[in-house]
Amino acid sequence: MTPQQSFRQQAPAPLPPRPIHIPRTSETSLANGLAVVIVEDSRLPLVSYRLAFRAGDAHDPPELPGLTDLLTGLLTEGTESLTSRQIAEEVGRMGATLSSGANSDYTTVGASSLATFSDKILDLVADVTRNPSFPENEVELIKQNTKESLRQQRAQPSFLATEMVSRVVFGKHPYSVIAPTLESLDATTRERIVKFHRSKFLPNNAVFVIAGDVQSDALLKRIESLFGDWQPGELSKDDFPAPPSRASRSAYLVDRPGSAQSNIVIANTGITRTSRDYFPTLLMHTVLGANASSRLFMNLREEKGYTYGAYSSLDARRTAGTFRASAEVRTPVTGDSLKEFFYELDRIRNEPVSEKEMMDAKSYLTGVFPLRLETQEGLIDQLVQIKMFDLPDDYLETYRQHIHAVTIEEIQAAAREYVRPDQAAIVIVGDGAEVLEQLKPYTDAIELYNTAGKRKEKPAANSEFKSESHPALIVGDWTIDIQTPFGKNISATLKVWQTESGLTGSIASEMGDANIVSASLVGNSFTAALSFEMGGQAMAAKIAGEVDGTKIDGNISLQDSPELPFTGTKTS
Amino acid sequence: MAETFQLPPTTIQQFTLPNGLRVILSKDQSTPVVSVAVYYDVGSRNEKEGRTGFAHLFEHMMFQGSENVPKAAHFQHIFNAGGTMNGTTSTERTNYFETLPANHLPLALWLESDRMRSLKVTQENLDNQRNAVQEEKRLRYDNQPYINAFLRINELIFKNPANAHSTIGSMEDLDAATIDDVREFFRVFYAPNNAVLSIVGDFDEQEARSLVEKYFADVPGQPEPPPVDVSEPGEVARTQETYYDKLAPAPAFVLGWKIPSRRTPNYYALTLAAELLFEGDSSRLYQKLVKGDESVVSIQGGVDERRGPSAWYIFALPKPGEEVAVIRQQIFDEIESLGTLGPSEAEMEKLRNSLCNDAVRGRQSTMYRAQRIAEYALYDGDPHLIDSELDQYLRVTADDIRGAVSRFLDVDNRVVLDIIPAALVEEEEDLSEAESSQRAGEAKQPAAPAPPVPAAQSSSVALPGAAQGGNGQVHISSQQPAETSKQTDSGPSPFVS
Repeated sequence: MTPQQSFRQQAPAPLPPRPIHIPRTSETSLANGLAVVIVEDSRLPLVSYRLAFRAGDAHDPPELPGLTDLLTGLLTEGTESLTSRQIAEEVGRMGATLSSGANSDYTTVGASSLATFSDKILDLVADVTRNPSFPENEVELIKQNTKESLRQQRAQPSFLATEMVSRVVFGKHPYSVIAPTLESLDATTRERIVKFHRSKFLPNNAVFVIAGDVQSDALLKRIESLFGDWQPGELSKDDFPAPPSRASRSAYLVDRPGSAQSNIVIANTGITRTSRDYFPTLLMHTVLGANASSRLFMNLREEKGYTYGAYSSLDARRTAGTFRASAEVRTPVTGDSLKEFFYELDRIRNEPVSEKEMMDAKSYLTGVFPLRLETQEGLIDQLVQIKMFDLPDDYLETYRQHIHAVTIEEIQAAAREYVRPDQAAIVIVGDGAEVLEQLKPYTDAIELYNTAGKRKEKPAANSEFKSESHPALIVGDWTIDIQTPFGKNISATLKVWQTESGLTGSIASEMGDANIVSASLVGNSFTAALSFEMGGQAMAAKIAGEVDGTKIDGNISLQDSPELPFTGTKTS
Repeated sequence: MAETFQLPPTTIQQFTLPNGLRVILSKDQSTPVVSVAVYYDVGSRNEKEGRTGFAHLFEHMMFQGSENVPKAAHFQHIFNAGGTMNGTTSTERTNYFETLPANHLPLALWLESDRMRSLKVTQENLDNQRNAVQEEKRLRYDNQPYINAFLRINELIFKNPANAHSTIGSMEDLDAATIDDVREFFRVFYAPNNAVLSIVGDFDEQEARSLVEKYFADVPGQPEPPPVDVSEPGEVARTQETYYDKLAPAPAFVLGWKIPSRRTPNYYALTLAAELLFEGDSSRLYQKLVKGDESVVSIQGGVDERRGPSAWYIFALPKPGEEVAVIRQQIFDEIESLGTLGPSEAEMEKLRNSLCNDAVRGRQSTMYRAQRIAEYALYDGDPHLIDSELDQYLRVTADDIRGAVSRFLDVDNRVVLDIIPAALVEEEEDLSEAESSQRAGEAKQPAAPAPPVPAAQSSSVALPGAAQGGNGQVHISSQQPAETSKQTDSGPSPFVS
């Protein structure tokens, strides 16, 4: 260690601030209503494009959740003049990128390339946006692959938590749905996608943002020639049911037996992106839980060591929003974590934040602001949000002023309005048998669900002792109805018989046939291990059910997939 | 490709302090931000047998406070100034970095110099961080399908223990670390003469230089660390293994090859071969397997870039019911075809353009540049490679790629690692002791995850979600057919502001 010098003893003062140059934008509109925003930036020979439409997942037809995502996934999979492969090769040849995606409020087509290819990549943006052909085989492939990824998502506790929070907080508002279902995927046809594309991709519903090494005049001419003859259409107004208001606190426990962690989310409705309370709420959120120096992190991770990270989130969208506090904690400290969460949620409401906390939060928010404008992509993100959420044109210029203007009183007012621990929904994805008692002190209203999203009465038991029972309870033929997470049921026939070495049997379903490799009956509880033959490979499955006379009720799982609940009746 | 591309030149000023600290300043006033990176020449390659995981454990220790910076204050200082930060560990080096509003440069230098000169290595901090690392291992490795198999493959590719073991290390070795080991590690490796400091962004060069001298000049130098032997024979340690993964929902496999060191002509050629085979929607294997045959859910790959013998991987997740052996053979055939016929004209054009595009686009970010510059200074003694290395890639010819593929993506230096869901096997027979101790994941969670992206070898310490170093040593590309890029996600993102 070197000798201590006095200048080392505390953090140095900053140098004089450097001016931030907010990039200059020029904005114009084509006759058909397409808004065009251009930022000329010739520092590097690059260009980035993003064409955004005010139509997102929230605008999916109620019976076809996931339609927008399928649509965006298919835009680059074929146009009237190019096949999927030709598009991929053309983009690859330029070393460029071209992609499309959606969130709940809007949809974008984005591209980037070296400046030398700025015209060619723009042609492709226009082609995939205006002339997608949605080939039947590509529609089928994306439906299949989406089903596969749904299956994987359902094994993720974070997905299950977000799904449940959205469902209970947004109610009938379309933000309540976060994923398609097997049923909606099956029901989606090419015709439906074509029609949807025609009705949502309208120039008068879009803004085209371009940043990079471009000449505005030449670029505008080219945009006019590519998009000028695109016919505007009628726009529908968002008319969504408001999220429900709740009078008291309640909990939704998604039972995931054996889960090593509890995913806790405490949520209530919040603000829209254009709320006049946005900046005070943002400051409040920053003090409470936005980052690793906020209160939630310092308490639950740094002091208590319950988690790798605890945060709040300000989810402010176009037509509704939520305020959430969340963490993934070790199962045994689920209750202790709730205690600390509620302590912090009460504290931010009941006590004014300190001057230092507010100044630190302001300094954080104004400091990270220019970091977002460093790249073309970052700048375009900001400009697209301004347009899609109808924020004021001077939003970037005035952002720091708005932050600085917020007062301690406004922060507390925002907390009292938008942090409502006594009316919050507590969502926990975790081991129900371990979590239930820990949760009870925090609310009497607890609803229990399985990972398929279905209500159930009690958590999966650990291993209760039950006396040996008579095999006749289970031996026979059963017709069972397996509920998938996606709404569509699978029916199957279960046959169980007894041999000298014990119970055995088989199961037949449209998904395939399986043999029981081992089975047992303890009390009324039947469990069996199954082996499926699929494409030459053995796949393991498990079945567990409670027999009640001629009825059976239980779960079946293929390999490590989530359990699917089933019910059945004895037919012989 | 026999062409060059004129990158906008990077301003570089370099000097070395009398204590041996190498400093590179790169001024750029485009945005009023500054990025600072400190690279220490110590990674898992420097770890002795019985002390694996030490470099990464030490990375955690660097956030535990120093003479004038209390425990956990490091990230509070950075966040409260409006900055982002993190640290990562790879086989080659341990890095620490932050991006801040430009006028907070003194803060970054104060924080970095205080821990370089006066880190608090206490028993309490060691115990605490040992727990944190073990928690991280559980969360990121042991509780994830496919990830531990991906670590296993390095143990099959490399014979030299310095190369073979993972950066996360073993629980037993971590438990064995004593406070004296840690103090000695700090003295030997965290010396100014074993580090590079790079600063990129909006600053006055004179002022930056005098700040660097003020904060770093009196940190004492140390004798040079002991040399590292990373030499390897050409063949791999073992060519075939089966890994039973308790968390994997479906069978998958990893293929790995031992290849020459970074910055050699064959390394360049093989990196470009990787691009042609599995990077992006136009790559050969994506078009063949994900689109054409529709037989795999995802195919991914990467090149592990090292100063010594390096590695080249492919990971494939077949669709349920597809014949794994057939898919594997198709991959071998495609590699063989590239090694026989070489890339097409169109593929060479694609390589050229994507090299130039990536080189230009990456340098928009000051952090990207700070990290690359530090890396080139540390490994090669030449920070100007940030501009000039591109030409070395552009000089690679189609015949170079053909030759390197046929020579290095061969059978003798290849490992085939099958990943079988352990659940499948348990139903029928108990795993033999040897197999089950092969660290099949221990966690009980029912299942798994979104499309598996094997973890890069570097681990980041402090924060999930904080700015990650863009340049981990393993470059992984992920290709998911049904995924479209969620570039507009900032709306519903939980951290929107």
